Parts: sequence; C-alpha cells; structure tokens
Amino acid sequence: MTAKGQGRTAFAYLAPALLILGGLLAYPIYQLVLISLYDYGQEQVSGGAPLEFLGLGNYRNLLGNQQFWGVLGQTVAFAAVCVVGTLLVGAFLAILATRVRTWVRMTLFLAALGAWSTPAVAGSTIWLFLFDANFGLVNEVLGTQGFSWTFDKWTAFGLVAAQVIWCSFPFVMVTLFAGIKAIPGEVLEAAALDGASAFRTAWSVTLPLLKPIILVVTIQSIIWDFKVFTQIYVMTNGGGIAGRNLVLNVYAYQQAFAASEYGLGAAIGVVMTVLLLGITMFYLRALRRSGEVL
Amino acid sequence: MRLKALVAVLGVGAVVACAPVQSGPTSSGTDEQTGQLRVWLFDEVNRGPKEAVVKEAISEFQGKHSGVTVDVQYIQVSSRAERFKAAFSDPKSAPDVAEFGNTDLAGYVSAGGFSELDLGKWDESKDLVPSILDTAKVDGKTYGVPWFVGVRALYYRTDVFSELGLKPPTTLDEIAPLARQIRQKKPELIGISAGGKYLFAALPFIWAQGGDIAKQDGGKFTAAIDSAEAKAGVAKYTELIKDDICPPATCAGNGGDASVEAFRAGKAAMTIGGDFNRKSVDASSAAGKYGVVPLPGKTKDSVAPAFAGGNLLGVMKGTQRKTLANEFTQLLASKKYQQKMYTAMGNLPTFSDVQKQVADSDKFLEPFTKTLQAGTKFVPVTPAWAKIEAQAVVPTMLQEIVTGAKNVDTATADAAKTMNAAFTS
Amino acid sequence: MRRWLTEGFVLIIAAVVAFPLFWMVLSAFKPEDEIISADPVPWTTRPTLDSFTRALTVANFGRYFMNSIIVALIVVFLSILISFLAATALTRFRFRSRTTLLIMLLVVQMVPVEALTVPLFFLMRSVGDSVPVFGLNHLGSLVLVHLAFSLPFAIWMLRGFVAAVPVELEEAATLDGASRFRFLWQVLFPLVAPGLVATSVLSFIHAWNDFLFAKTFIISAVENQTLPLALQVFVKPDQNDWGAIMAGSTLMTIPVLIFFMLVQRRLVSGLAGAVKG
Repeated sequence: MTAKGQGRTAFAYLAPALLILGGLLAYPIYQLVLISLYDYGQEQVSGGAPLEFLGLGNYRNLLGNQQFWGVLGQTVAFAAVCVVGTLLVGAFLAILATRVRTWVRMTLFLAALGAWSTPAVAGSTIWLFLFDANFGLVNEVLGTQGFSWTFDKWTAFGLVAAQVIWCSFPFVMVTLFAGIKAIPGEVLEAAALDGASAFRTAWSVTLPLLKPIILVVTIQSIIWDFKVFTQIYVMTNGGGIAGRNLVLNVYAYQQAFAASEYGLGAAIGVVMTVLLLGITMFYLRALRRSGEVL
Repeated sequence: MRLKALVAVLGVGAVVACAPVQSGPTSSGTDEQTGQLRVWLFDEVNRGPKEAVVKEAISEFQGKHSGVTVDVQYIQVSSRAERFKAAFSDPKSAPDVAEFGNTDLAGYVSAGGFSELDLGKWDESKDLVPSILDTAKVDGKTYGVPWFVGVRALYYRTDVFSELGLKPPTTLDEIAPLARQIRQKKPELIGISAGGKYLFAALPFIWAQGGDIAKQDGGKFTAAIDSAEAKAGVAKYTELIKDDICPPATCAGNGGDASVEAFRAGKAAMTIGGDFNRKSVDASSAAGKYGVVPLPGKTKDSVAPAFAGGNLLGVMKGTQRKTLANEFTQLLASKKYQQKMYTAMGNLPTFSDVQKQVADSDKFLEPFTKTLQAGTKFVPVTPAWAKIEAQAVVPTMLQEIVTGAKNVDTATADAAKTMNAAFTS
Repeated sequence: MRRWLTEGFVLIIAAVVAFPLFWMVLSAFKPEDEIISADPVPWTTRPTLDSFTRALTVANFGRYFMNSIIVALIVVFLSILISFLAATALTRFRFRSRTTLLIMLLVVQMVPVEALTVPLFFLMRSVGDSVPVFGLNHLGSLVLVHLAFSLPFAIWMLRGFVAAVPVELEEAATLDGASRFRFLWQVLFPLVAPGLVATSVLSFIHAWNDFLFAKTFIISAVENQTLPLALQVFVKPDQNDWGAIMAGSTLMTIPVLIFFMLVQRRLVSGLAGAVKG
C-alpha cells in the first residue's frame, strides 16, 4: 500500500475518535486556556458581570504563592510513591496469578475487581472506618485504641497511599495478566526447550514482549495518581490538619472551583497539565534512549 | 491532508470564539399568570413527611389559582452548588422558586440568581425574628424568606455529670475547667468534643467575647479576627482542643458532624450540637442520658450568640411567573406551613410567635429557642465569604493553633491577611 | 508443595484485598447503633435490612439504576468500537502526525476533569439547541462526555494489545484472501479481546461511578438522574447516614462485579481464539 493510501485508511479508522475527541476534549481544553487568561467567576459565567482580561495575571498569582510550591512538591512525592507501589504490587500479583489454579485466580481477581469497582468515595470512607482512632477495627486489633492515623502528616499520607494502591493495583494486575496470557505459548515453550530458567524466561522473553503494556500502565498510573482527589479529600478531611496533606488537585478545588474562581482554577489546570506532560515526556525519552519506540 | 482540514476547521472555530463563553442576561420581562411553576426543595433522608406538607401547600395553591400546576423537584444538598450554578447559567433549566441555605445567599445573589423580594405587603412578615430575617439580606435588600432555622447549644451527659456531682456550665469560662475535670476523673472520656474544623462551634466563643470575623464599614468588609476580642475568643475555643480536654490527634480534624459523632458514641461528656442533631443522638448510645442547655456567654446565665443557620425560600431572577412565584413562596413559608413543617420534620420556625408556641409544647426545644431569642449572629454577608469558606481559612487557623504550628497572634494575623485579600478582590 | 504455598499466599492476599469490601457489606447489614460503636466487631448478631430499605426507598431508585446502566453500557459499546478502530490505525499504519496524535491522547488525559466542567457545560448547552438528546438534562450528554473521557485511555491501552498481535498473522490472512474488513473483525478483534475486557471494565466503572458530570449536566430533569447522585442524599454536612451509604455502595458495586463476570467469559474465549490462531 502506498503511504498516501495508508494515511487515507488510517484516517477513516480514526475519524469517529477524532470527531469525539476534537469536539469534546480539544475544544473545551482550548476554552480552558482562554478562561485562564480572564477574571472568570460565577458572576461572569452567568452574564452578571463583564469579562476582564488579565493576561498572565492568574498564573503570576499562582506561581508567586509559596503554598503552591509546597503543595506541588508534596504532590510529586506522593504520586511517585503511589505509582511505584501500584506497579510493584500489580506486577507481583499478575505473575503469581499465572502460577495458580483457575479458582484461586478467580478469587483473587474478584477481590481485586471489588476493590477496583468500589466508588472512590465509598472506598475512602470504608478505609477511614477501619482505621478510625476510636471506632476502627485496626486499632482494636493492634491494641492501639485512640491512635489517630490521619493526624500525623506522614501516617496520613501513608494511609491514603495505601488506599490508592488498593484501588488501583487491580488495573495493573489485570492488564499485565492479560498481556502475559497473550504471549503465544510457543514462544515460552521454545525458551524452555532452550533450557532457560524461569527467571531468565521472564526477564529476557516475557518482559520485552510486555513492554508496550508496561509503558501504558506506567503512564496511566502517573496521570491518575498525580490527579488524586477523592481519597485525599475524604480521608484527610479536605487536605489534612491545617492543610498539611494537600495535593495539587485538592488545592485547586479549594482555592478555585469551590469558590467559583474559574479563571484561577483553569490556570491551575493548565499548569498541572504542563507539569504532567513534562514528567511523561521525561519518562518517554528515557525509554526511547533504552531503545523503545513510541 | 484531511487532518489539516480538520485543524483548519478547529482554527476557524478558535477565531470565532476568542473569549470565554458567557450566558446572556437572565432577567425576563414576562409575568405569566398560568402554567407550570417549578420549585426546587432540598432532599432529605426521610423526606416523606416533608413531601406530604409540601403537597398540601401545593393543592391549596392550585385550588386558589386555576390553570397553575406546581412541579417540585427534590435536589441533593451535597450537589446543590453545581445545580444552582448550572441553573444560573442555563435559565431554561432553572426553577421559579428554590430552597437554599442562608450561608449560600451572598454568592447566589452576586451571581445574579435570585430576585429581590418585597415583603412589605405580606402581613405575617412582621413576626419574623429580625436577626433571622437579616440572614436573608444582602446590602439591606431581602432575597429570601427564612423557612426554618437551625441553632446549636451545649449537649451534656446527665449520667456523667450526676456521677461526678457536676452542674452544666453557666459561663463560657467555666467550660474548659469543667471539661478538664471530667477528663481527669474519667480519662476515657473527651471533656468536650470540639473540632478544629467546627466553625459554627468556634464562632459563639468569638462573639461572646465581643469579637467578630469581620466588620463592615460603608459596605466594605475588613477582617476583625485579629482584634483583641476575637483573639480572646479564639484562645478560649482552641484551649478546648488540648490533650487534657479533647486531644488534637482526635479532635483537630473534626467538623461538626464528627464532633457530634464522638458524643453519640458515648466518648464525650459534652459537645456543641444543633436542634437537628436530636434524632441521631436519640438513636445512639447516648440516648436518654443527655441534656441540653444554651451555650453560656461571658457573664453568668447569659447566652453566647449562636450562629443562625437555616434555609430560605427565594424567587429566581429568570422566572417568567414572578407574581405566582412570590405568592407560592409566601404560602410555603407562612406560619401555617412552618408549623406543619415543624410537626413533620422538627424544623425550627422563623416566626417569633410560632417559635414560642412549639417550644411550649416540646421541652427539648427550650434551650434552642432560648438561644434564638437571646440573639443570633451570622457570617459576613458578602460573596467573598464563599471564597473564604471554600479556602478553609478559619479552620486552617484553628488547626494551626491547636497543633502548635502557630500561636494565636500569628495564626489570626495570617487569617486576617487572607480574608482581606478575598474582601478586596 | 510450592504451588500450595503460592496458592495459600494468593488467597491470603485476596482476603486482605476483599476485607474492606466485607466491612462495607457488613456495615450495610448492621443496625445503626452498631455502625458507630466503640467496640467494632467483624460480625453482627442483629443483621437488619433497614439500611437497604432506606437506600432503596430513595424515590425512583429503579429509574436511576436503569439510567446508570444504559449510560454505562452505551459508553462501553461505543468506546470498544471506536477505540479498536483508532488503535488499529495508530498501530498498523505509519503516517505523519501519528506521534502528535499519540501525544495528544496523553495530554487530554492530563487535564484535571473538574477544570473542564465549565467549558463542557456551555458546549452541551449549545449542542442541546440543535440536537436535544445530546444536550443538557439528557442522558445523551453523559454518554458523550464519558465516551470522550474513556476514549483516550482505551485507545492507548488497546494499542499495546494490537501491537502484540504478530504482523505475520495479517499477512497470512491477506494471502488467504481475507478482506481487510474480515481480517479486522474476525481475526484481529478476537485476538485483542483480553485487552478489550480490561478497557471496557474501566470505561464501565468510569461511567458508572461518575457524579461530577451527572450533577453538572442533569439540572432540572430528575427522571434522567443517575444512581451515584441519588445516593448523595445520604451524605450530609450535618449528619451522614453511614448505614445507607454502605448499603448504597454495596448495591452500586454489584452491577460492576456482574459485568466483570460476564466479560470474563469473553476473555477466556478470546484466549482460546488466540491459541487456535
């Protein structure tokens, strides 16, 4: 097929997706950037007050705020812990799942799927219940009644990270498991016939074949964990004692959306997107250097 | 090729829309006398009784106006912000009459959502408790009729108090020593369950000392939380959230709900709770073992000014049936239906005579009506307050103090700075 | 022996993972005074359906439930179709702007969703002026927006699975005389079925649990409300009804589990197809 013909068929396949993404994501995102340049509150939205162009005013405001930088650092560190934890737990269990009988695997998958499908608000609430200082089962079992898990900054972050990993590892596990299962049996048998050890097979045959899938789950985890909202909001009661457990998305919500300061909120949204893009690009470049192509 | 075309199309769109979207003006000139009147009321966990009363009002209203139907929708309190914002931005979806919380009033009015009401021709309005009616006003103009009011008072455990031979406090200053004493003798109990995020419990302490969050001067607000009086109140309240009364590890993160929950679970000897908490406390382990007194003020047997929470009924600005909407609002908020709503839901009425009447018939309400009649106060009525509340300025300040991150002077000064930024923006 | 150890370990993990869910279901069955209790116990001697009754008597529960199901299923169906085509295009063809498109798919996922509600609201309002079913107050608006938010991820994810199918297979099929269309739906589609299962579960959960858009778009049409929003009635600033929240969450989790069990079978047959090929 000629290059032009390829492009044409490709476009035909892509058309429905492009139509929806262009109209329902690209255009609103363009609007978002516009909004971030204005003083745009509820009064402006409902037409009660004229628009005022601020240029980069919202951004200056934000970048000049010391708290923003503190929250930013916290967000990156917190997301890093969640991503690494999710990937490790998910990958480990995916491998274990290939080595057990079907009913055991189904039990694990059902449990994991339950965790995955629990609405975020409900999931966070249940964890809070279990770890409640006075009424929680965990303290009852550990004999540490009255110990508050959400008071101290670090135990609070740890608890939330555990909850985030709890509800996001199933995605990694199911995906990687599907990936492993999709590897043709002949390939693995061939490796076994060549006398490769199980570990060697995993490292030099399975892993390279799974790379595209690992890439996807890693990037997705970065994107999701960087934008964690519900868990922090519910479990640390809106960002912890005196806001010491704030992450960027919750911060944005409190500073902007709850107060209908959409201009500022849009600016935070744009900054977050740029940051995430930077992190992802860095990861992709590192991969490309190691020989992986997009 | 075609991709380029698509990009070009999007580009044209971009040129056309070079500013964020705005809604058109919402006010409509028409005032129709027939058709459907749309009403939004808040949903409740057990809304059956509320619905029954509202239905009664509707059939009375429809009987008086032929050709008019009333359609009621029950909307969730927790998603109200989005619903109302959406209604302001899409008048087609907006109701004619709506119930809303009085703390949301200023924001809704500045968003152009509600229209000014003329209560002058409505006889019953003169009996509305003035301090409660004030919660429906912005810049001296009334935008809603108070439908019911919620106030908080001091809940205490009668069994604990009689066992230790104690009496409920009669001044604000007595609370801390009393709570400390209880916790000393019964270390498993919290002296008084106060919360670092429980704004409506902290406010009476500030008001009782003569302080306030902000003061208004010629229509402009300036923060007053760093005044000597307010600081005294803040110090009094934060003193409660210390290890010897209500340990910060347990209490610093608590809002009103969690504070009352500790009391319900039998873990606290006192707490500050509202008349609306009664049902849940009666369904808990504290049932039958508690009493309520007004939160005492600075001097003996005085009452600390309480926060006047509650809901209003208002007429939306975009309504096409202004007269009907006004009449329905006045009917639903009338003495007759407030009385019925009290019987159905336990909502405290906003008319002084109806208040007295229900208090006489129900002993439980006495401390609450007493608190109401002693005079209530309110948060600053300005859209900036919505922002200050959303940014959690006051709770953050309280938490900084109880965790020792900042002392009272610095924390209040910082809070005042943030508030002033919001007031002047 | 080794397998026994591994299996035992996996079962313990499954128990730990499922424990919070067990607690949720248990709390839904506990009487109100036991839920908030100083001595929590992992059982109840007085199981009650009170909480479920309260959750189910939310007016129109059945209607909201159906609305949620309809939206979620349409989103899953459309996103499978559209993302499969798009992923094939992005994997099997080389053309200019391909990398740009891939990057754009990532970028759109990075924008915080809350920030987009305002522009989307106005977009849906204008859409509704010409095509009412996709406008505000209609389920169509929810379908559109959930589709838009699940597509970028689904496409990314499926790319990996399409890429894993050897190109030789396509060449072999073409040699056998299969048309491109037949190859696409009869060979490639079953082969990437496991990937489709993972993405559709995610799309389903995404559409099923959302209440941000439901509360922004469905303003005055109560009959088009979805389930998560209906359950919000129990979350109150003054007093949460934990029993009903837990009962409601339990009820909300069940359809997702059923959906998973249904597609799980599909996953197995998809694998069988792969082995045969």
